[in-house]
Amino acid sequence: MVQEYDHLFKLLIIGDSGVGKSSLLLRFADNTFSGSYITTIGVDFKIRTINIEGEKVKLQIWDTAGQERFRTITSTYYRGTHGVIVVYDVSNGDSFANVKRWLHEIEQNCDVVNRILVGNKNDAPDRKVVLTEDAQRFADQMNIQLFETSAKDNINVEEMFMAITRQVLRTKQEHKERQAIPKDTVSLRKTRSKKKGKCC
Amino acid sequence: MSLIQDHLGIIQAKLSSGETALTCHEGSLMQGSVCASRILALVEHEGEWALFVFISSRMPPEVFTDLAIERVIPIDNDFKCEIDAGEQSVDVYVNSRKLKLLFKMIPGIKTNNFVSEVMRSMEALTKRCDPPPEFQWLHKYSGSSTSSRSKTDFDTTSSDVTEDDVSKEKMLDIDSPDIVVSRHSIAQGANPIAARENVIQHQMSLKENDYTYTQILRVFIGTWNVNGLPPTSSLTPWLASDMEPPDIYAVGFQELDLSKEAFLFNDTPREEEWRKSVVAALHPSANYKQVALVRLVGMMLILLVQEKHEKHIRNVAFETVGTGIMGKMGNKGGVAIRMDIHNTSMCFVNSHLAAHVEEFERRNQDYHDICSRLSFSKFTPPKVIDKHDQIYWLGDLNYRITEMEPRIVRDLISHNSLGALLECDQLNRQRSQKNVFIGYREGPITFKPTYKYDPGTDDWDSSEKNRAPAWCDRILWKGDGMDQKEYRSHPILRTSDHKPVRVIDVVKYRRVHEEVLKKLDKLENEFLPQVTVDNTEIIFDIVRYLEPQSQELIIANTGQVPVQFGFIKKLDDSKYCKEWLNIDPAVSFIMPGEKCDVKLEVCVDKKSASKLNCGEDKLYDILVLHLEGGKDIFITVTGNYERSCFGSSIEALVHISVPVREIPIGKLVELEKGEAPGGMEPYPIPKEIWFLVDHLYRHGLKKQNLFLLPGLNSELIAIRNWLDNGSSEPLPGSLHSIAEALLLLLESTAEPIVPFNLHSVCLGASSNYLHCKQIVMQELPEYRKNVFLYLCFFLQELLSHATENGLDAKTLATVFGGIFLRDPPRLSARGRGNLSLDRKKAGFVYHFLVNDLSDYVTSKVLHLGPTT
Repeated sequence: MVQEYDHLFKLLIIGDSGVGKSSLLLRFADNTFSGSYITTIGVDFKIRTINIEGEKVKLQIWDTAGQERFRTITSTYYRGTHGVIVVYDVSNGDSFANVKRWLHEIEQNCDVVNRILVGNKNDAPDRKVVLTEDAQRFADQMNIQLFETSAKDNINVEEMFMAITRQVLRTKQEHKERQAIPKDTVSLRKTRSKKKGKCC
Repeated sequence: MSLIQDHLGIIQAKLSSGETALTCHEGSLMQGSVCASRILALVEHEGEWALFVFISSRMPPEVFTDLAIERVIPIDNDFKCEIDAGEQSVDVYVNSRKLKLLFKMIPGIKTNNFVSEVMRSMEALTKRCDPPPEFQWLHKYSGSSTSSRSKTDFDTTSSDVTEDDVSKEKMLDIDSPDIVVSRHSIAQGANPIAARENVIQHQMSLKENDYTYTQILRVFIGTWNVNGLPPTSSLTPWLASDMEPPDIYAVGFQELDLSKEAFLFNDTPREEEWRKSVVAALHPSANYKQVALVRLVGMMLILLVQEKHEKHIRNVAFETVGTGIMGKMGNKGGVAIRMDIHNTSMCFVNSHLAAHVEEFERRNQDYHDICSRLSFSKFTPPKVIDKHDQIYWLGDLNYRITEMEPRIVRDLISHNSLGALLECDQLNRQRSQKNVFIGYREGPITFKPTYKYDPGTDDWDSSEKNRAPAWCDRILWKGDGMDQKEYRSHPILRTSDHKPVRVIDVVKYRRVHEEVLKKLDKLENEFLPQVTVDNTEIIFDIVRYLEPQSQELIIANTGQVPVQFGFIKKLDDSKYCKEWLNIDPAVSFIMPGEKCDVKLEVCVDKKSASKLNCGEDKLYDILVLHLEGGKDIFITVTGNYERSCFGSSIEALVHISVPVREIPIGKLVELEKGEAPGGMEPYPIPKEIWFLVDHLYRHGLKKQNLFLLPGLNSELIAIRNWLDNGSSEPLPGSLHSIAEALLLLLESTAEPIVPFNLHSVCLGASSNYLHCKQIVMQELPEYRKNVFLYLCFFLQELLSHATENGLDAKTLATVFGGIFLRDPPRLSARGRGNLSLDRKKAGFVYHFLVNDLSDYVTSKVLHLGPTT
């Protein structure tokens, strides 16, 4: 029988109000964009099934209200999340400065979780205030992958969601491996395969 | 158990006499992408059985008129019932002639019992010696049954119709722009989300081919033993001799470098030289991307694909296995690359097996070693070569031609009599004996042996060894959908003592209809519950004690499915909203296109007033409106609370000489926190209590049922305003309202007159007056003691007029016991009405109503009666 999916992952999008969290989700799930801004008052989700590394992965992606006053409530939605997408607006320095707080929020509310940093609205160079180098330096420092996206122009959105999904998938596989393979098998294989190869 | 029996009874009522419902069970019938509840019943009639499918207008059915017979399926020789038990559900497939039904049932003993009963009836049929059953009794259900959709399926004429109906209902039309889903049935409450997985599982397996494209790829497989030499001429004749560019190149080399460095350190400049040489000679009419390159000593495999395929390639991995000296070294062995292209997994193995004519068994062994030891460890469990849809095995396999003189071999070749030679080919023999490469295929060999030539020529080996020619260099494959087009060698490339070999394979690969996934995702997103609310910020202007206000929130179902909504608790809250808020309805159901008005009422009463007064709580709450199976919406409720003496503590009130409204909020909060007020000498008791009691003392001593009859809410509000704002007018309201205001004032404080920490001590002492007296005199905080005694004096005064007002000490003790000794929150949370507790409270107060209190009065005389 054909299974509908091999994995079901819950992803969460967080970040300051107005950075484009809902737009990213809309772009990824429906491939649409709406120029009018409707602030999210609550949490909403959409689903999308993707093929990744030969596996069918069903994503349930939760979009959260970014407003400060909802922060304590939205933190309850972190539970059971496999991956968190932290979004800032490259044309809004404050939203980037707040990323630290959001990362802290993740630490407070999740045990082990995959994270990805996303600088959205990367479509108007003249308005860009968060430089890629600065964001990259910060991302390296926090050991988190950085993507600069534009939900409006559909730049890097697909790639970003794929990347976080891949991370989640890898974490799951590693977890499975740790449980599945006795240690001596691993070491044996390592000594045996003296491989030397290149992959592009 | 009783439920089943009830159902059975209802079903039995639906049947004719002589028919017995043996067992019944609920199941979800899968139709299209929706599942709908059905009740299945096994019915027996004179040694014949049939399966009845009922639709019920409500679940569970309550009377037999709730049921309509949808189908009757006779259990005859064509009847089949198959079970596919999963963790989530048990799939019961019922087949009868062309009818196919799938019911999902909840795993458990009931399902097991039901299915085994059905199986038993089928078994009974097979053991039947009588003539085959005729099912006369079922004819009455055909056509004339209660439901217009009902039909029986056991006569052939109608079964064709049924099959049509079923297939129309059941199958998804993949080619249509929209997946046909019965929106009507979803609107009736069928759950599309749960159904969705079933659609895919069941329907996709039935129509799997429609979900997958088959496309064609041209795969070039090449192998060349280069005898340790660097590239000297272009590889174009080998790699790009066809008109059409291959989609995939897998090019393997052996003996890339025969130097010691390469052997010991696995390092060689030749890798890059040959790689460049390959890349330079790829087909000119397409662009290629390197997928992977793997090398072990002299064995190198490079995999390239046309640029357009790159994004469909996943899970690339490569591994090596050495089978050389000590079974480890890499002069012999294999290297492999695997990848997934769309939904097809491919594995390419380049191997160099043991040399020497007589060593064919060794070569077999090397092959088996590679198979068993080469696994792609990035997968869990590690993937072995055999676990791929399509496998190519290429390389210098080193199998020779045996039992023939080299001279004869050459002779036969020159006469182009390859057939006789192929019979003596070791690989062909070993394969036919099933010693090696089981399951692999190889194309017909029409080219001359590729080994051994004098390098730089097309001449056979002229060295002393005088080796016999052999087809050392081979390409085999295994898997479905593979079709070899051309298997040939390229003698024009003369660099080595081997000639390169290649095949062009045309392979089919499958890819899942991504469009289908997208459509189903879209469907699922569309069918998520959706509502709009007219307002997410409810603002109440000024909220006053005991004056309820309400606003309406309109929730409109703008989605395609019925919505079950409810306000849910957040964080650690014990309720979905603060205690000063009331939501009606807090849970409800809205059909698509319909609306629901939700009333939000704010009312600050004795429970919530003190917290709002002291600033511990604010008129601010965020409600979480949850849609079952969908999103949450946050609704913010705010308001401005006007502080009042109701809810203020005794300690704060004695320090306030003016009406509460006249002092700033900050001051009030400070007083509530117990911060030292400056200036005035505190009153012995709050002036508000004095005002109320004084009024009752002057006008109400003879009033009947004082403290027993309730006041009017409007009067209570007037009294509140009078107390909070101050007035030169006389105190408004009836005596009963004033009496109730007094009780409310005492009840609205955060802590009662007897502090919570003395609660149990007082109850314990309630039978002993002296003990009670001691607690009051020594333990009660000063101002509360004053209020306590002041009120007891007043109550005694009331009781002295008992002949007129009809009050008695016990009744008053009960009323005031509950107020003076209000339960601490943890106790009251347990629910109300502990009679023995109430008795003790009354007992405690009673002492102070019947005993002489004159010795309590010390220097600060508590005056009763008019002082102003």
